[in-house]
Amino acid sequence: MRSTILASMALAGLAGAGVKSGHAEAELVAASAGYTAGKPVELAIRLRMDEGWHSYWVNPGEGGMPLSVEWQLPEGWVAGPVLHPVPIRFMTGELPGFGYEGEVLLPVFLTPAADAAGAVTIGAQLDWLTCDDEACVPGSAEVSIELRQGVEGPGKDAAAIRDALAAVPQPLEGAKLELAEVDGGLSFRVELPGEASAEGAELFPATPGVVDHSKPIRLSRDGKGWVGTVPLNEYASDAPEQFEAVLAGGELEKPLLLKWRRGG
Amino acid sequence: MAAAVVGMATASAIEPGDEAPGFTLKNTKGEEVSLSDYEGKLVVLEWFNYDCPFVKKHYHSGNLPKLQETYTGKDVVWLSINSSAEGKQGHLPASEMAARCAKEGNKASAVLLDPSGKVGKSYGAKTTPHLYVITTEGKIAYMGGIDDKKDANPESIAGATNYVAAALDSLLAGEEVEVKQAQPYGCGVKY
Repeated sequence: MRSTILASMALAGLAGAGVKSGHAEAELVAASAGYTAGKPVELAIRLRMDEGWHSYWVNPGEGGMPLSVEWQLPEGWVAGPVLHPVPIRFMTGELPGFGYEGEVLLPVFLTPAADAAGAVTIGAQLDWLTCDDEACVPGSAEVSIELRQGVEGPGKDAAAIRDALAAVPQPLEGAKLELAEVDGGLSFRVELPGEASAEGAELFPATPGVVDHSKPIRLSRDGKGWVGTVPLNEYASDAPEQFEAVLAGGELEKPLLLKWRRGG
Repeated sequence: MAAAVVGMATASAIEPGDEAPGFTLKNTKGEEVSLSDYEGKLVVLEWFNYDCPFVKKHYHSGNLPKLQETYTGKDVVWLSINSSAEGKQGHLPASEMAARCAKEGNKASAVLLDPSGKVGKSYGAKTTPHLYVITTEGKIAYMGGIDDKKDANPESIAGATNYVAAALDSLLAGEEVEVKQAQPYGCGVKY
């Protein structure tokens, strides 16, 4: 019995249990096949795009659509937010956008129920959009993964999930983002703690529909901080009340998640 | 390619209150149709691509055909415009487009073909769908997305705020349009 189970698990691993839809293949992977009740487990959604097609970030830019995820979890299990690595910027025809090409892993932490026991199936209904210059094709897939109770070593996807987590922007204690309205646009000011430098970094707007997406936002040194300006999005009716930005690249050691709130 | 980008930058300067750019395009029967033919009428321009999942959301659900039927019944002129370039998603030659429109249940006053993209760019049409509502005086009263649920899921339609219907209802009642512009969403127009 045991050898049959092991053999079928090995086959599942080799088969690459991805579900193809439209121009991407989706899969749910885990850092480890084992879980402990009440202790978070590291999973990731892997999306592999066909060559020439891209998928979209939380802020897709102009046109496009971010991935939507509907979890099918065992009783008492809770899923955290789906985490997004720093995107790339691309053009779809004449529309600027943000997202991913090739392959992307979107990490997510799930917390098992306090009384979770035995083998469980974690499922998710995924809906996404891939586009190239000539067409947009949606994808829809139901993906799942089995986890076993008990401590187990890292699985084959553990390293890739770690790498993806390193590319997910994180808040930094002491980092500050300020926004101000200027003539038809917004001006940003970033301050970082200690010796951290944002020289050469790019600021990605994580809040959709606020800024003009057509040009990369690069900051330049201004005293103790870094500043930049960008026109407002053509369809933004008012200046924003809150804004989330990702700062990545240049002299930054790791990508940062910055938040601003009016009056905050 | 650089020229096209410059073209977009100039065209996207259209704002609510501006005069709607005039145009002449051929319908699916090859007849010429001009915006000026409809002087004194409320006009809706609707950019479409039947293969785009966001357009499918609004056609397969019957949402757009119902809007077209409702408002053409109130003497609004509804023009569906296709600016897909030849070889790109959404493009069809005139004869095939007529058949496809019938299949999709399109109830617009006319379906106009803009394969060169000239008219789309003059309006700054970015996505399919992307809609413009024009007053009887020829001014842009509303421009942008059809509603506020920026997804391709037909189940979102019921709970969505339909900006186009709201603008038309206001204009038909002789009232000010409240929301004059909203983020367009959809696939990029395949110029």
